[in-house]
Amino acid sequence: DMLFSRLNFIFGPSAVPALGLVDQRAVTRVTSPSGRTAYQVLGSSGKPYTCYSSCHFCTCPAFGFTVLQKSESLLCKHILAVYLSQALGACQELSVSEEQLTSILLAEEEDEG
Amino acid sequence: LRRGGLAERLCRLQNRERSAISFWRHQCISDTKTSGKKHKSGVLIVKILEMCEECTIQVAVCQQLEQTPATLSPGDAAVNAGEPILKVLFARETAAHLKSRPQDVILIHPPWQKLLLKNTDVPVIMNTYFSQKVLLSEHSETGEKAYSLTKMPIRKNVISLAQTFRLDDLGDALHQEPSENQVACAPQIPNNCDSKQHPLVPSAVNDSLLEMVESQGAVGWREVQVRVVIQRVYCLPAREGSRSYVQGNKPLAAPPTMNSDLPNVRLCLLVQDAYGMFSEVQLQSLSSADDVEQYCRRWEGRFCCLAGMKILQRTTRGRALGLFSLIDSLWPPVVPVKVPGQTQGSEMMIKELPPPSFCYILAVQSSEIDVEVDEEEQISHLYQPPAVRGLKDILQMDGCNERCSFWARVLYLRLQTKGHVPINQREIWLFVTDTTLQNVVPRMPRVVGVTVAASCVLSTEISEALSVASQRVFFKDALWGNGRIICVERTVLLLQKPLLCSAAGADLSELTGPVRLDELDSTTQANSICALRGTVVGVNERTAFSWPTCDRCGNGKLELCPQDRELLYCNQCSEVVVSPVLKMQLEVFLSCPSRSQSTVKVKVQHEMSCGLFVLINVLLSLQSYEVQSVLGKEVGLLNCYVHAVTSRPNCVGLEEIVLL
Repeated sequence: DMLFSRLNFIFGPSAVPALGLVDQRAVTRVTSPSGRTAYQVLGSSGKPYTCYSSCHFCTCPAFGFTVLQKSESLLCKHILAVYLSQALGACQELSVSEEQLTSILLAEEEDEG
Repeated sequence: LRRGGLAERLCRLQNRERSAISFWRHQCISDTKTSGKKHKSGVLIVKILEMCEECTIQVAVCQQLEQTPATLSPGDAAVNAGEPILKVLFARETAAHLKSRPQDVILIHPPWQKLLLKNTDVPVIMNTYFSQKVLLSEHSETGEKAYSLTKMPIRKNVISLAQTFRLDDLGDALHQEPSENQVACAPQIPNNCDSKQHPLVPSAVNDSLLEMVESQGAVGWREVQVRVVIQRVYCLPAREGSRSYVQGNKPLAAPPTMNSDLPNVRLCLLVQDAYGMFSEVQLQSLSSADDVEQYCRRWEGRFCCLAGMKILQRTTRGRALGLFSLIDSLWPPVVPVKVPGQTQGSEMMIKELPPPSFCYILAVQSSEIDVEVDEEEQISHLYQPPAVRGLKDILQMDGCNERCSFWARVLYLRLQTKGHVPINQREIWLFVTDTTLQNVVPRMPRVVGVTVAASCVLSTEISEALSVASQRVFFKDALWGNGRIICVERTVLLLQKPLLCSAAGADLSELTGPVRLDELDSTTQANSICALRGTVVGVNERTAFSWPTCDRCGNGKLELCPQDRELLYCNQCSEVVVSPVLKMQLEVFLSCPSRSQSTVKVKVQHEMSCGLFVLINVLLSLQSYEVQSVLGKEVGLLNCYVHAVTSRPNCVGLEEIVLL
């Protein structure tokens, strides 16, 4: 409970939705033979969002708005879910080929382009 | 939410905490003052040294105290060396409730949490929901109240993108796996409280207006300077709000009557930064617009540095049509503008850039000019001087609400008084022409009417010059729309052509020879001027009247002398009028071959009448209005102002005028 309380304090509105995603096992760690990793989180709408492992980045619109533009939050619920899933060992694992991982990372860029 | 899942647990915890907090707060209010009291163990007493805000959490660097200071005055800034320093985090809601400022003493009741981070010595205190501000004395309570009314700006620490994306530590191997005891984002909270530098303030001068605007609210934004190009200088009436009428012939809601000593106009600049973004900067208030011509000459096209501006408004195209019509006339930019993220703009990009849809309106903070105009430096390449066109081209433009500039001669001036409107609210109609119109062009009028709305600020020099004689006037940024040219706010009338203006094929030569007006015909409309010739077919005897005027001053309101009721007395001269001049007003019906279907009614006044002068003189000398003798007489070219044109009955009402 103490941990929950601390989570809640720091992350405020992102905390409950992030835990919800963890409950649903929505976080998948995607790895490729070269060791590169990325995370895919199934959003509430069913749409998968990609979160980077090397830094805070998520392809969801909330990230772009609240974190990057308005600096109102440190991260979005998907990134928090990634961290929590890692901590709790609740990540699903998926191994893909290099090409597939590349397309995951690049596909998002095309969307935004 | 999944039953029994973590999210549900957290939700219930949130609700429990919320109710505990509101209950506790309620209890606090009913509690007595806390100064000097010994507290239960577990209560943390801290004094705030510095505060800043990050991602909606308020971070306060504090000093832990042993006990509540009983008599510590708020001004005591001494920091006890021995006391430990803490970093206390307050949630947004708690911070809003506390309204704390540096030097405040806060009591943090349990349960609160302490967090020790790996790399730093300063412990972080969290879960500070149950916090209370210590009210130190009776005095300070009222002081507090006054304080809390003024919203204190708190420095907002913006985490730079470099930090979010960890571009600094690309050398780091892997990011550490967070353990259960450590909050995952801890490494991301930068220790920026200690640094005095605001992340956005470079020592060099900025060139982005948007950056300056977005950094406002943060401490240190006053030092941010932006270098911009002054595209236009003009005066706005002081009471102008965000509502600006495009059809400027509607007078603005009446402000108090004009007192020439009070400032009632504001000098404004329309500036553009290196990214092509515009902003309207309101400078000091002036009592009159007399110097605007000078400012225009000295400042337009030059660079200037803006610092410490106050943001009045962010306005959009739909709300400020007048402003945006001016911005559109300066779009696209003549040189490539910078694009954020690229070092150089390209030629091709200019044409594709959409015109701006929003604009910030800024104002100087104090009465001194916070704007430094670099008058020595050369004119900027970004500057777009007004493009002078011939009136013929303007009348053929098919846009709506387009800004245009032209150089024309004013032939006649008329004040439009609609009801009881104060002097400064009156509309002025000017009838102008230039060489492009005077050279006979089929289907084009020779003279065009320009409405000067009350929102267009005129200098006294112009107003006086216009009423005295025919002037050549430079109309800068007038509005063309719906077949009319109007001068509204941001239009400037100048007696001299500005040194820099692009004349794209416009004929700016002086008019030679006498000016010709359009002749009265079937296309003549109301509120225009024309020339006519015809034959007298009737006189309106009912409306004819005459009155004596003073031969010295022209005063038409003469009185009877108290001493001798036979003589007339003029108040303005304070003398008896020995030989008064008789003025007569008469309405004459003419038959004009150019508009044979209409009844043409011309109001003439004796003194001004040129064409009819001889006739009326004859009438007067005979002391009788022999209508018969006037009928059938030919009337030569009369210059008239058209009052009204009605179709049923087909009638044109005119008044004889004298051109300037």
